[in-house]
This record gives sequence, C-alpha cells and structure tokens, in this order.
Amino acid sequence: MKLDFIIIDDSKLDCFIAEKIIRNTGKGEDIRSFTMAKEALEHISKNPVAEGRKTIVIVDIQMPLMNGFEFVEAFEKLPEEVRKDYVIYMLSSSINENDLNRVQSYASIKQFLNKPLTSNMLSTLLEML
Amino acid sequence: MSKEDKIKVLYVDDEMNNLHGFKATYRMDYNVFIANNTDEAVKLLEENPDVRVILSDQRMPDKTGVQFFEDVRKQFPNPVRMLITGYTDVESVIDSINRGNIYRYIKKPWTDFDIRSAIDEGNKYYLTNTTLAIRNEELQKAYNELDKFAYSVTHDMRGPLLSILGAIDLAKENEDMGEIKEMLGMMDKSILKLDNFIRSIHDYYNMNRGEQQIVEIEFEKLVADLKDIYDISAQTGNVQFDVRINQSEPFRSDDMSLRIILNNLLSNAFKYQRRSEEHKKVSLDISVEKGVATINVVDNGIGIDDAHVSEIFNMFFRGTTEEVGSGFGLYNVKDALSKLKGEIVVSSKVNEGSTFTVKVPTK
Repeated sequence: MKLDFIIIDDSKLDCFIAEKIIRNTGKGEDIRSFTMAKEALEHISKNPVAEGRKTIVIVDIQMPLMNGFEFVEAFEKLPEEVRKDYVIYMLSSSINENDLNRVQSYASIKQFLNKPLTSNMLSTLLEML
Repeated sequence: MSKEDKIKVLYVDDEMNNLHGFKATYRMDYNVFIANNTDEAVKLLEENPDVRVILSDQRMPDKTGVQFFEDVRKQFPNPVRMLITGYTDVESVIDSINRGNIYRYIKKPWTDFDIRSAIDEGNKYYLTNTTLAIRNEELQKAYNELDKFAYSVTHDMRGPLLSILGAIDLAKENEDMGEIKEMLGMMDKSILKLDNFIRSIHDYYNMNRGEQQIVEIEFEKLVADLKDIYDISAQTGNVQFDVRINQSEPFRSDDMSLRIILNNLLSNAFKYQRRSEEHKKVSLDISVEKGVATINVVDNGIGIDDAHVSEIFNMFFRGTTEEVGSGFGLYNVKDALSKLKGEIVVSSKVNEGSTFTVKVPTK
C-alpha cells in the first residue's frame, strides 16, 4: 500500500532529509514538507484524504510561531472524519523529560522519534503500521 | 558627607519640642525628617520611600506608636521601625516586638548614645535585608533564565548538529553529486545557525557578567567597524545600505553594549529582507542631541506581525522559520538597553518593513 507523507519542521535540511529517506523506501506517494505548522494544518483541513488511503505526519516539537504541541492540539480539534486517516509521529531533538511526558498525553500522537530520522527507523515504523 | 549620602531617618512625635530638639541634634549626621502626627509621617514616607529608620513616640493622640507601626508596615515594609517609650508601656511593646512590628525600642528619656547606636544598628539591618531581597530577585531571574537556557540548548545546539548528522548519513548512500552538493549547502546553514547561537550566548554572558566600561563614544568610529562587516552583507544581498551620523557633542557610554545593540539590529535588518523586493534597503541613523543618542535602524523587509511585536524581545522567541535566527538577539538588545537605561520602540508592518528606534542617555 502506498502512503502519503506530511513533514513539518522549521529546518529545511531536516525536511529534505526526511523527504529523501521516505522516497528511498519506495512507499511514499505524495510527500509534502512544511516549515510552518500553521500551513500544514491548513493543508490538512482543506484537502481530505482519498478513500482508503493513509497519511503519515512527522512533526517537530520546537518550531517558531506554532510548535509541534500546538499543532497537535489544533489537529485534535478538527472533525473526526478529517483526522481518521492521519497517523502522527513526533520527531525531535528534545531530550527534555517534560516534552517526552507531554507526548504521552496526546491521544493522536502515535509515537515519539528521536532525531535524526534514519531509513532503519522509518522502515521499522512502517512495518508496524 | 552630602545630604544624599546620609541615612534617612523619620521621627514621629506629637510634641513639637521633641521633634525640633531631635532634628537640631542629629541633622548633621543623618538626613532627618520629622512628623508630628501619623498622617504626616505616612505622607513623608510616600515622598521618601528610601527612609531607612523610623523612630516613633508611643503615646500620641491619634494613634499609639505600636498601632502606627503595625499599619505602616504593610505599605512600607523596608524601613526599620523603632519605638521610643517609657517603662510603663512595656507590655504592649513586648507584644509588638514579638509580632515583628518593631525592630527595637528606645527607652525614654533617651541618651544621645542610645539614639546613635539604634540608628546605626537599624541601618545595618536595613542594608542587609534590602541587599538580600535584591540578591534573591536576581537569583530568581538567573534561575528562570537557566531553565529556559537548558531547555533551548537541546533544540538550538543539538538541532543543527542532528540535522547535519542526518544529512551525512543520507549522503553516504547517495551517488548523485548534485544532491550531495544541495545537502552541503544546507549543512552550511545549519552550522551558521549553531555558530550564531554560540555567539549570542557569548554576548549574553559578556553583558551579564562583565562590568560596564564607560568611555567616550565616537559613533563615526564605532560604526566604521560595523559598516565594514555590513557592507559585505549589503553587497552579497543586493541591499542599499545608508549610514548617517550626526554627533557634535561628547557622548559617554559602554562601548560593548552599544555594539551589541547596533550589531543585532543591523544583522536583523539585513537578515529579514523580502526576496521579492527589488530595492532592498537598510538605513542606520544616529544623532546625538542634549545628551541623548537616538539610533534608528530602518529596513523595508518582511516586517513583524502585530500579534508578535510584544514578544520579539523575549528570550528564544522566533517570529519566522525563514532565517537562521537564534531567538536571542533582541533579548540581548533589550538587556543591554536596560543596563544603559535606554529604551527601544518598534514600528513595523508586514511586508513593508520595520523601524527600531533606540534612545540612550549619556553617562
């Protein structure tokens, strides 16, 4: 099954790396990067996922203007029929315990991932889907 | 000893003779204020919040000294309170001392030695307390900053490093030279970002730990160094850079702080340009008049959203993902300005540009 991906990270290099790694797996269909979480949210609310498809969202925590947690909070306010086709992973360089605990408190975050994203990490994660 | 250096002492008594006698005796050594009722005493305290020692008679028609101290303590907790009274009132005095309303009491009739030693001891107590309060406040501020600092270090220092690590990992398996070069370009940016962050920390600590060194400032000279650096940014970024300096009087200030202010404001002006703008402009205007230096840094760049103007001086606030900001620069500017007793005003419009106006008084 082919998957769509949304990458949200204020670092262009991190977006580039993630895109590249996803492409290398051969499983990514539509891959989009956003350096602003707000724009990603807009995209999600305006573009419904096609029937029977899933979109993987990989979101950074610390970003200017809207951070990863704020993004997830806004996402959780979207209607259920919009949300149901998304799987959210949080990807961060943070080693702060508060951040890690906070990740657990959001129902819609599937898992926390440590930066940098590697192809091994991504393959394991896709197998577990 | 000038009047300003003397310890401020307030004496409250309903008997005019006592007041005048007290003032005549001690006005050479202390800065003496007298009040013949408690209302007047409160008024004097409002006008002189730096009174260190209050002496009050116990028996007054409107209020007892004990009552007065109990009331005044709420509004003016800092001055050291001392009661002057005869032995007969000793019960109420003991109670009041135990409740912390009075630091000590002086028995009537007092001797010159009693008064002097009481005021001097009181002054020591006052100094210890106020210094401690100031230190505590500073310490709290330092702790808060340290917390924020420790948190942001993971992101601002680890972030760029992990990006580079990721890119290296990817490049190892990549044969496409074009893509590798593209990644190298981005790694470059990550390293610059990290370097930028480290420099800001350096500025931050220089400012906080270093003593100010007040010297004669010639803005022409100070700006000349900066202009060399920013002329290169102007050239590579295709930005018109105008500098106007108007200084005909001497100006004294801390060179380091001024450099940090100018450097950050200029660096932001060059950084936050709009790519689509054909005539990119940055101007720096400095004029010194009547002991105040006014510095204007104007750009026609991306501007700042009204919603964020109030936050831009906060530590680690970043208003955009576009550039390699550390979220430290304007915080340092504000910090430097508070040391110089200066102020900063921002006016900005999204997609039209920003104007930062700084006013600094001479030292």
